[in-house]
Amino acid sequence: MTNTIDRFGTASRVLHWLVAISFLLLVLSGLGLYAHTFFGYFDLFGGPQQGIVVHKWAGIVFLIGSVLLFLSHAGEVCRFDADDRRWIARLGGYLSRNAEEIPQGKFNAGQKLFGIFAVIAALVMGATGLVIWDPTAYSRELTQASFLLHSIFFNLFMVGMIVHVYLATIGNPGTLEGMLYGQVRRSWAKKHAGKWFEKVAKN
Amino acid sequence: MKRKAFLIDTTRCTACRSCQVACKQWNKLDAEATVNRGSYENPPDLTPLLYNQIHFIEQEQGDDLRWLFINRRCMHCADAGCVKVCPSAGALYHTKEGLVAYNREKCIECHYCVSGCPFDVPRYDAKQKVTKCHACSDRVQNGLLPACAKACPTQALSFGDRDQLIAEAKAAGKKLYGENDLGGLGVLYVLDDEPGTYRLPKNPAIPASIFFWKDVVKPLGILGFWGAVGVAALHYVTIGPKKLDDADDQPRKGGE
Ligand code: HEM
Ligand code: HEM
Ligand code: SF4
Ligand code: SF4
Ligand code: SF4
Repeated sequence: MTNTIDRFGTASRVLHWLVAISFLLLVLSGLGLYAHTFFGYFDLFGGPQQGIVVHKWAGIVFLIGSVLLFLSHAGEVCRFDADDRRWIARLGGYLSRNAEEIPQGKFNAGQKLFGIFAVIAALVMGATGLVIWDPTAYSRELTQASFLLHSIFFNLFMVGMIVHVYLATIGNPGTLEGMLYGQVRRSWAKKHAGKWFEKVAKN
Repeated sequence: MKRKAFLIDTTRCTACRSCQVACKQWNKLDAEATVNRGSYENPPDLTPLLYNQIHFIEQEQGDDLRWLFINRRCMHCADAGCVKVCPSAGALYHTKEGLVAYNREKCIECHYCVSGCPFDVPRYDAKQKVTKCHACSDRVQNGLLPACAKACPTQALSFGDRDQLIAEAKAAGKKLYGENDLGGLGVLYVLDDEPGTYRLPKNPAIPASIFFWKDVVKPLGILGFWGAVGVAALHYVTIGPKKLDDADDQPRKGGE
């Protein structure tokens, strides 16, 4: 009997990191337009015009990748049960040192919410991004509203991403292994995804 | 330095279009072919090669025709939407006379300023760089009048000290458009009718979505970002990570 159990297949890991890399490129290339303070980030891409081109094409990759990532988890992510509601009510036990873990499926309720938020945000940013692709292509009102929405979801996404990365790395030791190598330790599965562990351990 | 401004008295304008031609000449802008649309207005709108334009308002009143003319151009707003949204510091800027000029070297071709301007003024040339009336900043800095104002034969276009222009117009009993809007426009109009007749907004303002984007969402977002980083760091050192119980990882029996 081995110490680890399979969590993510190769395809879904490649997809996740493709989404993550395109997101990083989008942030770095978008920040130069966001505020004068960050204008220097365009140097990473060889200049503002080049940065904008990178942003546009990384956006297409990110949009398609995010939709596929969501579809590959949609079954687990979109179903909420009584345990999920309890998890949300207690904020996943993150506010106490010795909270008892509420048994969760493959993803906990917070991850499900993040997964749903991420795909909605990607769709909104993609749609508004296509409108502002050429800022003179559509009516002024539509373009102006798209700038506002792109910016609102950018800021929400940054906050969501800090939480996601924190909880997926140092906040929950062992989690990153699943996304890097495909397997998690039994102790991890038992603690973080009790119901999923039971199901997988049986087979 | 005191703010300079244009005063455009539409009641004096005869639509001779000397201003259009003088601007083209000074700024070395080529003529453009247009088509006859059944109006004397020509060209019909500002273009990348036309920084000021005489807009014709042609109203049929029974057998009569009411003809109104207005010189359209950048308004040189004090609170300028174009400057607010421009990501490249110094691409669009206020000169020391308070006029809005631009530096094409710094323009990154993003076209944001189109969305930021309440008057739909900025245009893009073949190189995708911003163009618009720059108030002849090159001439003004050398003590000359802007080319259009110099060329105007009827004094419909005047240029000078903003406070003085306002005082003179008021002393002559004229009502001004743009005195206090957007921090005070750098182009003041004397109109012969409601602003709407001239396709001017009655109360010009930065578009609400642009205001929320730049003045609400952006500062809140920066706050949110550092707030989230702070909360995560605080969580890590106070409550701490969810550590795993290694006992669960001991192979039960047998092993390899
Ligand atoms: C999903 C597909 C996306 C597309 C197609 C897209 C496209 C665009 C376009 C065309 C612009 C305007 C740039 C220009 O033409 O000058 C823009 C601006 C921007 N984008 Fe994206 N984008 C996408 C996703 C994202 C994401 C995921 C982020 C970051 C989380 C992001 C952050 C930004 C930022 C910060 C700006 C500057 C606008 C501002 O100041 O608010 N974008 N995007
Ligand atoms: C450096 C950045 C990132 C790291 C370290 C990271 C890490 C991880 C890890 C370890 C998991 C697996 C969690 C588990 O096993 O339960 C995961 C899941 C996931 N990641 Fe990321 N990720 C990053 C960036 C992103 C980005 C940019 C996105 C999308 C915008 C994203 C979206 C997701 C989604 C949707 C899941 C599925 C689980 C859920 O909904 O929370 N990740 N990530
Ligand atoms: S197109 Fe040029 S002038 Fe206009 S906002 Fe972008 S960088 Fe500024
Ligand atoms: S009229 Fe438009 S282009 Fe001119 S200063 Fe005002 S916002 Fe800028
Ligand atoms: S001030 Fe100069 S740039 Fe502006 S319309 Fe007159 S001539 Fe043209």
